[in-house]
Amino acid sequence: MSSVPVEMKDGAVSSSKWLDAHYDPVANLYTFSSCVTLADLHGDGENKLVVGDLGTGAGNMKLKVYRGTGLLSENTLLDLPTGLVSFLMDQHEPRTPAIAVASGPFIYIYKNLRPYFKFTLPTLEINPLEQDVWNQARGDMIDPMTLKEMLEGIRDKADIPLSVRTLRFLMLEPQEMESYVNLHKEQPIRRQTVITCIATLKKNMADDDAVSCLVIGTESQDVYILDPEAFTILSKMSLPSVPTLMDVTGQFDIEFRIIVACRNGNIYILRRDSQKPKYCIELSSHPVGLVRMGKNVVVGCAQETMQSFTQKGKKLWTTYLPAPVTTMALLDLPTRGFQAVLVALANCEVHVYRDKNLVSTIKTQDVVTSICFGRYGREDGTLIMTTKGGGLIVKILKRTAVFDDRDSISGPPVAQSIRLNVPKKTKLYVDQTMRERENAVAMHRAFQMDLSRLRLAAARAYVKALESSLTPMSASLTEPLKMNAVVQGLGPSFKLTLNIQNTAACRPVMNLAISFLYDENLYSMRTAFFKIPLLVPGLNYPIDTFVECLSDKGISDIIKVFVLKEGKSTPLLTAHINMPVSEGLALN
Amino acid sequence: MGLFDKLAGWLGLKKKEVNVICLGLDNSGKTTIINQLKPSNAQAQDIVPTIGFSIEKFKTSSLSFTVFDMSGQGRYRNLWEHYYKEGQAIIFVIDSSDKLRMVVAKEELDTLLNHPDIKHRRIPILFFANKMDLRDALSSVKVSQLLCLENIKDKPWHICASNAVQGEGLQEGVDWLQDQIRTMRT
Ligand SMILES: Nc1nc2c(ncn2[C@@H]2O[C@H](COP(=O)(O)OP(=O)(O)O)[C@@H](O)[C@H]2O)c(=O)[nH]1
Ligand SMILES: [Mg+2]
Repeated sequence: MSSVPVEMKDGAVSSSKWLDAHYDPVANLYTFSSCVTLADLHGDGENKLVVGDLGTGAGNMKLKVYRGTGLLSENTLLDLPTGLVSFLMDQHEPRTPAIAVASGPFIYIYKNLRPYFKFTLPTLEINPLEQDVWNQARGDMIDPMTLKEMLEGIRDKADIPLSVRTLRFLMLEPQEMESYVNLHKEQPIRRQTVITCIATLKKNMADDDAVSCLVIGTESQDVYILDPEAFTILSKMSLPSVPTLMDVTGQFDIEFRIIVACRNGNIYILRRDSQKPKYCIELSSHPVGLVRMGKNVVVGCAQETMQSFTQKGKKLWTTYLPAPVTTMALLDLPTRGFQAVLVALANCEVHVYRDKNLVSTIKTQDVVTSICFGRYGREDGTLIMTTKGGGLIVKILKRTAVFDDRDSISGPPVAQSIRLNVPKKTKLYVDQTMRERENAVAMHRAFQMDLSRLRLAAARAYVKALESSLTPMSASLTEPLKMNAVVQGLGPSFKLTLNIQNTAACRPVMNLAISFLYDENLYSMRTAFFKIPLLVPGLNYPIDTFVECLSDKGISDIIKVFVLKEGKSTPLLTAHINMPVSEGLALN
Repeated sequence: MGLFDKLAGWLGLKKKEVNVICLGLDNSGKTTIINQLKPSNAQAQDIVPTIGFSIEKFKTSSLSFTVFDMSGQGRYRNLWEHYYKEGQAIIFVIDSSDKLRMVVAKEELDTLLNHPDIKHRRIPILFFANKMDLRDALSSVKVSQLLCLENIKDKPWHICASNAVQGEGLQEGVDWLQDQIRTMRT
């Protein structure tokens, strides 16, 4: 059997850890990480990608489902989605998850991709004074102008904020007021809040396919936990600020923790049986991404840093990032026992961090706005990203990929921990240190003085050279030139070669001339002035001329060479040539 | 070797035995294909995802096959290479409707082709672009493009579109494989 080596174009094992499974720059998907999830919607072992698409501008909001590289279905959403989760509502077979889409004060539940239920947040307490005033308006006891004045008075010192109806009324022009009042006065006042974030919490079992409660954070600074079947409120907790990002672990009936990043730049940790947060982490800048790694929290902050804390609020580390964070997600591969944090940056890169070490960098074609990592289709390690321009990127982690901490440059080098064999201190060393310690001020002064003198001398020489264009390099930006001169011969005839070079990157230099200045009693030159051709950048132009020495007294002098530019009075370059003594005359 | 077998061997009736390794990602249809190749009385009715691997033996008109049906699930794919040495032919099955994982199939194929036990052997490879009946299935030409099969220069290979559930396209592939094996010097 003949054996020929396999010659394959793509055979070389690429060093990348990711396979490019799919890229659609015009997928028309505009979304954030909170609105993307992976779920086995049809119970066939093949995970689908579920996206709450915010669309562009008003309208075009959609619930989209992808299978593999293709769009499987689209449902129109009535309002902008703020969050989307998949969860198992009940024990019924087949055990296919439902989708919950939070938008405004509502949660829309979809089962089998069909609208199934709409949950509305409870209304908030109404300001009793506001209620009073509107009651008077209903009884036609006050006119719209008085109503306005009274409501404005309440607004300025209200503990309980006013309803949207009142706020809108206060913005109206006087002529619009009457009809507005007549339209609304019969209806009861309502005050609604909106959902800012949504997550899930297992009810009473830790299994992957256990029934989960919904956990929602609201603009009214509350966190609600909802029963998965009846959608009743099981628990309500209050926060000092508006929650924006949330991570939930544990089981509702046993023990759970909710880590919430809030708009005031703090992170709070809520636990079962505590109406108020138990721990608080104060960040130096606003949180833009939140990921939990085991028992620790990793936060991406607005000031281009990433910080890690324990759940008790102890800071573990800080890492500085090369660009602002756009979004974050957890890379979890339980089958390989590997966890890392994915951080999308505004410079079109996605970084993979294990603790504070950068272990992999993915360059993307556009800025990534949402990341989701998990099982997609039948592939466990799939990374799904959508971009600012509406693109969809799917990458698959190679089966053989290993993340090596040493891949990265960050972190202390290994050499740092090796102990050096430092020799013992000598007497000389000790004396020297003593002297330095006692005379520190005087030594410093002396040094500073000499340093200043040196600087002054250097600066003077430099200025002088510049003023008289004495340097063999031209300081002019438009005519960067270099020149050197060579004298050949024994005398009385000398050959003078000037090597001129245009050091510009690509611009030629024109209209230059050379002139010589010398003692006419001592030397004669056939031509003491001539023009130079156009100088092409980078080439060396040797220019030859001849000098005759007229004296036989064995004396020599300097010949000055000037490179001149037409229309300029000062020379571009000056060179002083020290002429050798003419020895040749003796032969005559 | 029994007397009867010896006799059959002398008379040229003895069938040549070959080991065939059946590879491909999970859910590509390997087990279904092998089940179809077996005589109808030995076929299984329900096919469940293969764990680890299973060994199937069956005979065709001229050859006696021993097929190693490898599990395609990611965590079992590192078992494949332990069987490369024994294999005299490879059947590589691709789910032609799974566009997303075509890169993964290519990656596994490249790893296979670069393995020391395979790299320098002129081992025949039969590709099945399976599930051709599905609406969004890619053609066998497209599949061979995506897998860069034209770069395999030193091994005989062949690709057929197939529908393992109906048994379509399988015979063509197996005929090709038998021809290759018969011409192989052992
Ligand atoms: N439509 C269709 N389905 C197929 C075909 N071949 C296999 N299947 C189905 O694909 C699934 C996986 O097949 P299986 O043989 O277990 O794949 P394996 O993991 O590669 O062994 C089963 O549900 C098969 O019925 C085919 O050609 N067409
Ligand atoms: Mg199988």
